Amino acid sequence: MNGQAQTTGHVFQIRWIPKYTFVERLLHWVHMVSFVPLVLTGLVFFLDFLKPLAQGEAGGWVRLVHRIAALIFIGEPVIYGILQPRRLWMHMREFSFERDDIAWIKNAFGYYVLGRHGVMPPQGRFNTGEKMNGMVMILTWFLFVVTGLTMWFGKGIVSINLFHLMVLVHDLTMIVSVCMLIVHLYLALAHPLMWAGLVSMRFGCISATYAAEHHAKWYYGPKRAKEIYEAKKASAPDAH
Amino acid sequence: MTIVRKAMLIDESRCTACRGCQVACKQWNDLDGWSYSKTTNQGSYENPPKLSPQTWTRIKFSEYESPQGFRWLFLKEGCMHCGTPACVDACPTSALKQQADGRVTVEPHLCNGCGYCTQFCPFHVPQIEVSNRMTGRAIISKCHFCQDRTDNGLTPSCVKTCPAQALFWGDRDKMVAAGKKRVETLKARGVTEASLYGETALGGLGRLYVLAEKPEAYGLPADPKYPYFATLWQNIVQPLGKIALGGTILGVIAAWAFIRKNIKMEEVE
Repeated sequence: MNGQAQTTGHVFQIRWIPKYTFVERLLHWVHMVSFVPLVLTGLVFFLDFLKPLAQGEAGGWVRLVHRIAALIFIGEPVIYGILQPRRLWMHMREFSFERDDIAWIKNAFGYYVLGRHGVMPPQGRFNTGEKMNGMVMILTWFLFVVTGLTMWFGKGIVSINLFHLMVLVHDLTMIVSVCMLIVHLYLALAHPLMWAGLVSMRFGCISATYAAEHHAKWYYGPKRAKEIYEAKKASAPDAH
Repeated sequence: MTIVRKAMLIDESRCTACRGCQVACKQWNDLDGWSYSKTTNQGSYENPPKLSPQTWTRIKFSEYESPQGFRWLFLKEGCMHCGTPACVDACPTSALKQQADGRVTVEPHLCNGCGYCTQFCPFHVPQIEVSNRMTGRAIISKCHFCQDRTDNGLTPSCVKTCPAQALFWGDRDKMVAAGKKRVETLKARGVTEASLYGETALGGLGRLYVLAEKPEAYGLPADPKYPYFATLWQNIVQPLGKIALGGTILGVIAAWAFIRKNIKMEEVE
């Protein structure tokens, strides 16, 4: 224990500290409410066994839902950027990669997939995996918006080759982002080490012990986090 | 009995641009005469100005300066019924189908209006009737060789009506043979540029033209190509995408089963 929790009798008390603001959580859930319908309606056109849903009147509705969800998908980061440009910039900085991320990637497979409790390099408010998620989301957002709007309003106006390219890139972007969504859902809902994620995205708070373990650079600050990391590595060079 | 491929042979050296085929097409297929086709002077005698959701065939007029002087070249535009139809491959609803006899038919009740066919056709033939750009409500239409007539052993209505004996309908190999013969006759008469268009391109077109001049003079692509992006999209990106999505799902299930067994939850912070 690092002094963040205290045992009183048999009751183990968790000290909760704030991690996400209300607006950040709102943004996350609004994004989900737009993206999941976009994926489901989009897959109707991608997977052959869903073809009956793409045909005729049903297909017309699927396309309409896709467009309504697309408006939310496009609008929500734009509105956030207009209302809180400094926080949007802060997220971009939070999602940028650093040297520790390389070490994290090297150890992540053993830690998250094999379940070895090795020492992980200290992480900020977002760990490397979350940063990759964030960066891919930003990139795919731009690709989705450009290709989608071109297909929506540019049909018959833009050149045929450009339209073909837009269809192709929209599909490729979908493949990348849906694969990431599957992994994201797995980590958020099923992975035993990630229990705190869903709680913090729901209530905005996180256990201080969990934060110290998984987000040391954010919890202690970079300098202290590095000292703790070096000390841990020295005492257990290849833990477990 | 094997089903043989059918084709329409269009002898442009005989066409007089009477446009009886345009009228017969509208009449049989119950197409609106006025939408999209209000007559406007655009410097040409051709009318209507282009194919539209209500105009599935039309005579295109090309002004041509031949060594003998100015003349018109007439081209009966419409769906080419390609042997390898990109529109059918791009269609996500199966509203467009290639029949065993080579006709590319339309089932409007299956169409959801996505309009991919209009973008992937190498000849820009299919037309969508857009009723609302925001919602994307639309419906496809194009020449389907009067599928209700040809299904019942009749000829398409344009072939039936043509008074200039320029349109023929029948088994494709017979049409190719007749077209080649006509090209020979024309060449013997001094029409040196005469050619049969569409014999091999795109899997062989279902609409064959006997042309008196080079295809470009009629505004036809000399060497029409199956769209490169459609191949990439249909044959590479889509299968790879399905493998990637399926693989990711199986991967997380396997990872979950594995870590559930191996993790020691009492050690987890």
